[in-house]
Amino acid sequence: MPWLVLAFLVWLVGYPLLVVAAEAFGIGGPDADGPTTEAFRSFFTRADEWNAMWRTLWISVLSTLAAAAVGVPLGFLFERNEIPGRRLLGALVALPVALPPLVGVIAFLFLYGESGLAARGLQTVGLDVSWRLTGAWAILLVHAYSMYVYFYLFTRAGLSGQDGAAIEAAQSLGASRSQILFRVTLPRLRPAMAGATLLTFMTSLGSFSAPYIFGGGFRVMTTQIVASKLNGELRMAYVETTMLALLAFGSLLLLRRIDPGLDLASGARGTPPARRRLQTQRARVAAATGGWVLAGVLLLPHATLILMSLVPPNTWTVEAFPPVLGLVNYGDLLSSAERLRPALNSLWMAAAATLAAIVVGVAAARLSLRRGGLPGRALEAMMTLPWAIPGTVFALALAAAMSVNAPWVGRFVLVGTLWILPLAYLVRSLPLTGRSIFAGMRQLDPRLEEAAASLGAGALRTVVQIVLPLLRPAVIAGAGLAFITMLGDFVTSIVLYTYDTRPISIEIQSSLRIQETGIAAAYGVLLMVLSAAAFIAWDDRSGGRL
Amino acid sequence: MRNALALGRRSILLALAAAAAAAAAVAGCGGDGRTPLVVYSPHGRDLLTVVEQAYEAARPDVDVRWLDMGSQEVYDRIRSERANPQADVWFGGPATILARGAAEGLLAPSEPSWAGVLDAADRHPEGLYYTLYQTPTIIVYNRDAISADEAPADWDDLLDERWHDEVVIRDPLASGTMRTIFGKILADSVVETGSTEAGFAWLRRLDGQTREYVHSPAVLHEKLTRQEGVLTLWEMTDTLSLIDRGAPVAYRFPASGTAVIQDSVGVVAGSEHPGEAEAFLDWLGSPEALALAVREAFRLPARGDLDAEELAPWVADVQSRLRRAEVDWQMIEENGSEWMAEWDRAVRGQGGG
Repeated sequence: MPWLVLAFLVWLVGYPLLVVAAEAFGIGGPDADGPTTEAFRSFFTRADEWNAMWRTLWISVLSTLAAAAVGVPLGFLFERNEIPGRRLLGALVALPVALPPLVGVIAFLFLYGESGLAARGLQTVGLDVSWRLTGAWAILLVHAYSMYVYFYLFTRAGLSGQDGAAIEAAQSLGASRSQILFRVTLPRLRPAMAGATLLTFMTSLGSFSAPYIFGGGFRVMTTQIVASKLNGELRMAYVETTMLALLAFGSLLLLRRIDPGLDLASGARGTPPARRRLQTQRARVAAATGGWVLAGVLLLPHATLILMSLVPPNTWTVEAFPPVLGLVNYGDLLSSAERLRPALNSLWMAAAATLAAIVVGVAAARLSLRRGGLPGRALEAMMTLPWAIPGTVFALALAAAMSVNAPWVGRFVLVGTLWILPLAYLVRSLPLTGRSIFAGMRQLDPRLEEAAASLGAGALRTVVQIVLPLLRPAVIAGAGLAFITMLGDFVTSIVLYTYDTRPISIEIQSSLRIQETGIAAAYGVLLMVLSAAAFIAWDDRSGGRL
Repeated sequence: MRNALALGRRSILLALAAAAAAAAAVAGCGGDGRTPLVVYSPHGRDLLTVVEQAYEAARPDVDVRWLDMGSQEVYDRIRSERANPQADVWFGGPATILARGAAEGLLAPSEPSWAGVLDAADRHPEGLYYTLYQTPTIIVYNRDAISADEAPADWDDLLDERWHDEVVIRDPLASGTMRTIFGKILADSVVETGSTEAGFAWLRRLDGQTREYVHSPAVLHEKLTRQEGVLTLWEMTDTLSLIDRGAPVAYRFPASGTAVIQDSVGVVAGSEHPGEAEAFLDWLGSPEALALAVREAFRLPARGDLDAEELAPWVADVQSRLRRAEVDWQMIEENGSEWMAEWDRAVRGQGGG
């Protein structure tokens, strides 16, 4: 049984990557022309390819630094200080997470773009300013905005898990505040920081929406792959895919080395230090005002999206502010079956993928932990692996592997079918659900299952009546995150969608293409609301633990 | 945020399952008994909506489903789906791109009734695709920002110092129009000098003039209208629609002659409904459908047996002013991809200035 599940996971997760690498060498596939390193040689001699690799790397490093620079201080601010409205503000600050990548990018475009609200507003008040939201800094801006939340949440979780007694001990030994910060608090925050760094770095390595919309000639690997494929250079696209996968695995190994272990829940458990109360009334007012202004700025993209969704088609041209607002776009979206379909498609595919990921996750975790040994470790590794694979890489790999009918080598024609997109979503959901299910399963007392077995319950009954109810918080935590991510997916969808499975993000892109900005924004709001609801439910169940 | 929403524990999982089932049920029963005809096309909403409505009125048993994308994206999708074709009709794009598709076996032969009235150059010898519309490539400018006498009269004038950072261009990789314009410049360079070097040098200078490459024709229109860039290289039909909608733009045929894109159509190989696809082609080239395309979307029919004056006054006007340039289509077809890859890595963003 473990071998069967393992074989399924290897086939689904690892095999497509091998296929794409083989086809990059001209082995297998419809265009096979024998083992050849020609495409690789041309990759290594081309300056633009090196540029794309190098840019991917430094954009990821800078994105991580920028996200940390915003997220960590915010985490300290809200976890260690008693500010009026702390709970609500603290939650609002995490809301960029409710903007799926593509939606966040278009919100930025509407707000900070060349003819966005910000520029128009400033020009209306007489300032002669203009800028363009393109290239590296635009990508960095969007990355910092959407990824500081990882640092923010990890910092808060890390801080809330710290023992106040250690700080008191340091204080009684005469340590200054900076000494306490650098010698007590920060070292204990290291696992949290390592976790956030890993997450942010890997996310920006695979980031596609921001470079796709803002990059132009500034190519990172994900957009380079898509450009090569578009131009018909499929072999080169496969080489680039392989190289990006290697870059991702390399980075993962390197970062894991720095990372002392990601288990945030471990370590000294005690009462976190008391929050600092601001002494004067003035300080409290200032802190509250500052907090609200900050939250306002961070929520501007959300507000812009909502505003844009209320602008009826062809009513806003040169005015600073839309002259007419109304619900036309929503009416349009809800009244026509064709418009509603992408929303339903996204819902069913994300839900089906999440459910399947739960089933696979529970099966893998149970088998892995009971069986242990090599198959056990391999199972866990296969569940985590997709996390290191950028979405573009996996989408291309799956498309390559599943466009040939050769059942005897495990290749079926799935391209163009209803199944390939949910399958890709499933793979991308595996690490998100798997992580929390494995963690939850480890905490289960094995004697419970033994008791059930000795009372005559079969395996299925034990799982359904004993294991699942106990795992519920862990399952929900992972499933919520997976569901949000898949609902807003753009990067895999753009490669694998068909007319019948086109999801919301693709519809947003094509609405933009035909200048239906309001419709695109309305879809964006829909995604944002669904994601926020899923995030709140997840946060509620998991207590904000990642 | 704990307990921010009082969601029952089981309810989330149940809701997930219910959402999956309900949405799958609704999404699954999209069919209403009509034969679906899937059309991949770069033609844009205006023409596609008109075509969809008119064809469904003529054939109530057919459901036209279109996906709008760049011409090169149509090729990329059809090729990606080669093992399991999803499209029935490849509707639009320069013949040079369809020719590549034909060479890779992505198109199936068809014989629409109007094939016979086309020039031989507008027909694939084995009937894999046919030219439906003619699309002149032109210079477009914002007429509030540039007067008619000041506007560039030829491609070379775009390189004038005064237009530095004023040119905005549709991202050429995805766009058949831009691939054709760039292709012509490079093909001319080969014909005149024996190599692409002069052509690439020219494109590098154009890149230096370029403010931005944009993702879609819609963004191009928007930028031109708002004067975030006042000049572009584009095609006529789209521009006429834009002018018709009141946008402050005007256009010029380049003085040295206009490359006219042979905008073609074909049946996708492996289409589930080849008969329906061929019937659709047949209708697209019929005088009624062409008159509709002329009237509603400013398409210029390729077939020469229709009376221009009768179609619309603008057709006669355009035909009288249009001076066709000699273009080595064969060369563009054979080298287009390589040239664009070269442009992408060695020219884009490197024009300096």
